Amino acid sequence: MAIEFSNVWYRYPGSRKWVLSSVDVGFDESRIYVVFGPNGSGKTTLLKIASLIYRPVKGKVFAWGYDYWSLPNSKRIELRRRIVYVHEKPVLFKGTVEYNIAYGLMIRGLDRHEALVKARVLLEKLGLSYLADKKTNGLSAGEAQLVAILRAIVLEPRILVLDEPFAHLDSSKRDKIMELVLELRENGTGVVIASHDVFLAKAIAERVIVVENGKVLKPD
Amino acid sequence: MFLMETIPLIILRTLWISGTAVVLSLLWSLPLAYLLSRKHGLAKIMVPVFDALIGVPTVLIGLVLYMLFSSRGPLGFLGLLYTPYAIIIGEAILVTPLITSTTYHVLNNVISTYGELALTLGATDKQAMMVALREGLPGVLASIAMAFSRASGELGIALMVGGNIKGYTRVMTTAIALEVSRGEFESAIMLGVVLVVIVVSTSIAIRFLQRKVYG
Repeated sequence: MAIEFSNVWYRYPGSRKWVLSSVDVGFDESRIYVVFGPNGSGKTTLLKIASLIYRPVKGKVFAWGYDYWSLPNSKRIELRRRIVYVHEKPVLFKGTVEYNIAYGLMIRGLDRHEALVKARVLLEKLGLSYLADKKTNGLSAGEAQLVAILRAIVLEPRILVLDEPFAHLDSSKRDKIMELVLELRENGTGVVIASHDVFLAKAIAERVIVVENGKVLKPD
Repeated sequence: MFLMETIPLIILRTLWISGTAVVLSLLWSLPLAYLLSRKHGLAKIMVPVFDALIGVPTVLIGLVLYMLFSSRGPLGFLGLLYTPYAIIIGEAILVTPLITSTTYHVLNNVISTYGELALTLGATDKQAMMVALREGLPGVLASIAMAFSRASGELGIALMVGGNIKGYTRVMTTAIALEVSRGEFESAIMLGVVLVVIVVSTSIAIRFLQRKVYG
């Protein structure tokens, strides 16, 4: 397993309420998972723990066999860079679309010019070149969501985590993302999608994980 | 109309005193805001206190400083009373809650949003912090502009610990008060207009800078 939870519990700082309790679940590469559950069930928290962003209050998270939170910082970064999480509400940096897509490449040490070229190539591939120089504050919600997803895809992660990725998308953009997801999976990337859309879960999931009241009901 | 020839000097002195006070306050307000944004427990207690202190009456700060700096006060040996430095210290204290509170709210927001976003894209903690600060800079600049407006527009501190000494501690607000007491409304209004122009120009300049940098 690429990511494996072992009896994970989580509550937010300052809160007494457990958002996740006693969760054991795993995510691997080359598979499509749909984390399914109603709003407020703990899906997003589970995804952020799986993305190695949140540290569980109790329990362990293993990343490619390592007990992640007991590792030194340098090793943690190396592992965290294998996973990219995309927020439900797209958050973009100020600046252009091109800069946003190139950002993750630049912080990985790629030369700025090369990173921007790579961002443009991806946009061209998807017929979205017209977005490259656009400022992010001028994008529609759907465009912003698409850019956030492209910003993750350009990093070629081994696990891509998408939190309600289709919430702001029209059908053409939704199809585009679906195509990308399937292409990524073919290339060995594991894709984890949080959704409360049962049809989506049935349509593309190879594994369905049901979350309710902070518990995983059906780890597959 | 006797003020006319000294108005440019009064304006420059106001800019110098208020600007220095804000810069001085930034030295502790920004680190304090950053600390609070990282320590949630401390922030829960301290931020409401700072929020409440934003509206503290300037005469109260003036009174406390007067008692400290007067010749019989514990800091009287410093000889700061009725000097521009006393006003600078008072105004730096005055704007501290404003800068700390507004910067805290900005940082708290950007660290949780953009800091986390940067982490999801593989940033190190340091890179994530740099991104958060970059995204939060417009908010911090706006907070600095507000602090400058507050400092340059206050009267209580400048009057009580500055003494409104001609050519030395007279600033725009004390000059306005003096002109009104003399019945020189024309000069007072003119100074008031200049003060408003300065405050508005500062805000516009900062907005322009933000647009230039971030689009």
